[in-house]
Amino acid sequence: MNFIIQIITVTFFQNAVFSRALGASALPQISRNKKNLAGFFLSMTYIMTVTGFICFFIDRLWEVKGFEQVFLPMVYILVLGLVYIATLLCLWRFMYKTFRKMRKYIHISAFNGAVLGSVLLNHELCDTLGQYIALSIGIGCGFSLAVYLVSTAYDKLYSEDAPYLFRGYPLLLIYVGILGMAFFGFTGHQIRI
Amino acid sequence: MEHLSEASKVKNKHRDMLMESFFKKNSILVNGMVITPVAAFANTLENAVTLSVSFSIITLFTLLFSSFVPKRVVYAIRIIIYTVIGSLIYVVAAILLNHLMPDKIADMGIYFPLLIINSLIVSRSEVIFSRERRSVVLIDIIFCILGYAIVVLLFGVIREILGSGGIGNHVLAVPVIYPVFRTTFGGFLLLGMFAALYRAVLLFVKRLKETGVK
Repeated sequence: MNFIIQIITVTFFQNAVFSRALGASALPQISRNKKNLAGFFLSMTYIMTVTGFICFFIDRLWEVKGFEQVFLPMVYILVLGLVYIATLLCLWRFMYKTFRKMRKYIHISAFNGAVLGSVLLNHELCDTLGQYIALSIGIGCGFSLAVYLVSTAYDKLYSEDAPYLFRGYPLLLIYVGILGMAFFGFTGHQIRI
Repeated sequence: MEHLSEASKVKNKHRDMLMESFFKKNSILVNGMVITPVAAFANTLENAVTLSVSFSIITLFTLLFSSFVPKRVVYAIRIIIYTVIGSLIYVVAAILLNHLMPDKIADMGIYFPLLIINSLIVSRSEVIFSRERRSVVLIDIIFCILGYAIVVLLFGVIREILGSGGIGNHVLAVPVIYPVFRTTFGGFLLLGMFAALYRAVLLFVKRLKETGVK
């Protein structure tokens, strides 16, 4: 039960994009193509979860102290690279059709701030394997939710009807900011009387 | 004479390219690159300085060393090599900056190592390295980074004034303070307004040039 609550919490209350801006640079590019959203969601959450799973054992085996901290991102990136290559090879060998479909965007789902951010947050915040996996899935779901919300409004944000100065990217940022404000409301806050 | 005009053509081309990297296609305000730490972290001038310095070191050297990666290496491997180079540069940058500004780097948290996977590294190395000489590329990168750093600093100053009513310990006579701009979503909102304002400036310069020609 805690596992599911943690996933929901990370997806909605500590959303990767709206609360921490993780992967925000990739958001416009990903949300443009609505056809690949499901595939993107699956591949990104899968890469995050598998990388988080492996990094849990690395964190347990290697207790980082002081100066060694600077080498940690390199280790995580090597793990991420291995997961990415292994996934590509498996898809190419056993599911060639899926490989052909996914090869255009699988690199974005592996090498973006949200994925590395999830591994770094795992290291900072989690202790058990369950927490590592829940946080990874939560960040994957949260990022995908953000992509979906942006993709539904994408055409309007880039529409000719929008004022030229705000059309496209500026409006997209303001839209993400407004959504972020709405998601911030989920966390709740006391009103001073 | 023909040789001279050819040389001036190349010079003009390079000048246009640099102007594009620095001004017309500013990495944050036009291309939307590396906005994660800007929205989440650059909410004061001090943070903006930390971000600009760390970003400049990591990006400049990563791109410089990435330019030696042969193009015949397949993209799937190339992208891993870029990020591994980035993580090696990060080690040096982390040691250096932890020595120079330990508290600020600690404040940056995960946003410091996140600079390893920044969209500017991948896009710049993919677009330019195949076509241009290394010296031209290096200058282009410096202009691009400079464009980024200036915007981040300006953004940090305005965000701090709006969000805290001052800069550092100096209190300014700001009539209203909006603490919302210190948050991540406030960062997105302000960045959106910055991008729109920047487009207005670009449009103004373009019109100015057109009328000048006439």
